[in-house]
Amino acid sequence: MRRHLAALTVLVTTLGLASACSDDEPTDTGGETKTIEIKFSKGTVTPNGDRVEVGVGQPIDLVVEADEAGEIHMHSEPEQEFEYAAGTTTFEIEIDKPGVVEVESHDLDKTIVQLEVS
Amino acid sequence: MTDLPGGDRAFAHGIGGSADLPISPSLAIAGAVAALVISFTVLALAWRTPRYDAATSGRPAPAWLDSLVTSTGWRVGLRVVGFVVFAYTAMVAVLGEDLLTNPFFGIVFVWWWVGLVPLSLLFGPVWKAISPVRTINLAFAKLSGSDPEVGVFDYPRWLGHWPAAVGLFAFVWLELVYPFMTELGPVRLWCAVYVAAMLIGGALFGNTFYERADPFEVYSTLVGKMSVWGFRDGRLLVRSPLANLDTVVLRPGLVAVVAVLFGSTAFDSFRDSTVWIKFVQSTTVSSYLLNNLALLLFCVGVGLVFAVGCMLTGVGPETSRRSLPDRFAHSVVPIVVGYVFAHYLTYLVEFGQKTLIQASDPFGTGANVLGTGDWTINYWLSYHPTLLANTKVAAVVVGHVLGVIAAHDRAVRLLPQRHQLTGQLPLLFAMVGFTVGGLYLLFAA
Repeated sequence: MRRHLAALTVLVTTLGLASACSDDEPTDTGGETKTIEIKFSKGTVTPNGDRVEVGVGQPIDLVVEADEAGEIHMHSEPEQEFEYAAGTTTFEIEIDKPGVVEVESHDLDKTIVQLEVS
Repeated sequence: MTDLPGGDRAFAHGIGGSADLPISPSLAIAGAVAALVISFTVLALAWRTPRYDAATSGRPAPAWLDSLVTSTGWRVGLRVVGFVVFAYTAMVAVLGEDLLTNPFFGIVFVWWWVGLVPLSLLFGPVWKAISPVRTINLAFAKLSGSDPEVGVFDYPRWLGHWPAAVGLFAFVWLELVYPFMTELGPVRLWCAVYVAAMLIGGALFGNTFYERADPFEVYSTLVGKMSVWGFRDGRLLVRSPLANLDTVVLRPGLVAVVAVLFGSTAFDSFRDSTVWIKFVQSTTVSSYLLNNLALLLFCVGVGLVFAVGCMLTGVGPETSRRSLPDRFAHSVVPIVVGYVFAHYLTYLVEFGQKTLIQASDPFGTGANVLGTGDWTINYWLSYHPTLLANTKVAAVVVGHVLGVIAAHDRAVRLLPQRHQLTGQLPLLFAMVGFTVGGLYLLFAA
């Protein structure tokens, strides 16, 4: 009996610890615009799969500077596609649902950034 | 900027849209500490004589339930349900459009692959009851007046679950590595090969083949061992999941099955981590090759760590060490289920709904045959990321605890008295390693 009680105590306290310790407050969006610069040049792209933290509903400017036309895909809900021409193009976006959203170039088959929306 | 209605081309990252947020570092650490503390508590305080025995455990289910589930009507009903969904799936696979709006993808990758786990957890070996390949084999047997249980040959004992492990690997390869898994042709081909292999296997070896070699039946039946439903001498039993888990039949290849399940789920987290993406994108080596190698490495790695942990167990000379991994393999099942639950929960809930909506319009003609076409997806889970993260970590920790208890009970049965505590340590370290590794991936990816 004592064993069972001891086991139960440990279970309850550790599970309590496990569930009480999360403290991820939503990022303060503050309305300020997050600018993400994407540069295509000679078949390569920067950034190279970086994580970028953004707020839920925060305005984001994807500033694409490219040496030739192409398109990027954003794996949000619903999926979105942005076509750009050579030169500099700015796409204004915002994401309302928390999660990790990948922005990819399918021509290069590369993940450009992962937007960590929280 | 154009909105794609569900996408009109192949997406490199499968059929899913956004993924879950990573869990916070403090939550990951709390989960890992909980797993560690509970493991040693179980080791130190739990019973010293084996508690679970397949021959006596469980109590009979209520008579009405027993007669219901053993009735012909019930069994035929389930087969009909399974076959109707199968026929629908075959129809959209052959006649549907090659677009991600085709419900085929969601049926295969979400309902079938992921949905099978909670269904089996709640109701037991679901795939065995609804499997269309079993139904077709049964129909052939009825037509030819033979017995579906018996084939031309006896299923070789040494083969065990190995074909199922290979089949499961083939599926996770299609889902996680193959670049064209979002195109109709390859996925349809995979499914056609699966059905063909199962029908040939069934004709050669009878129903034994499905029980041991059908990847989905082996997966479903294994997870079903964590349900409360058992069978003994044709009677339906209600058992504790742990007592039920102890009745997993030992067969060669069982470790390979659980290693593929756990390793592939871990790889699915890992391939979305910044570290891996940056590495793959900055080397000149083909990313397809790297992903193939990484998936294989995860599965083999899990299998090896577990096998070594088991073989280092302090057994007496009368027990063969090489038999130990399969004898302990059932104890990884709860760890797999907890981690699969954590990994796929949002995907199942949200893409499961999306598939139901898409299923109402099988050919992309704007039809609404099921009446679900105008439903909207409920994203409640995604909008509560803290609750979601807590649920995921709790699932991983609970799975770990059940796994450790299952392994402990098996150990006190197998281990001689003097090794009962220290002999369990290597396996315990392996299990803590899996859980902490799983939590780390939930945090890092």
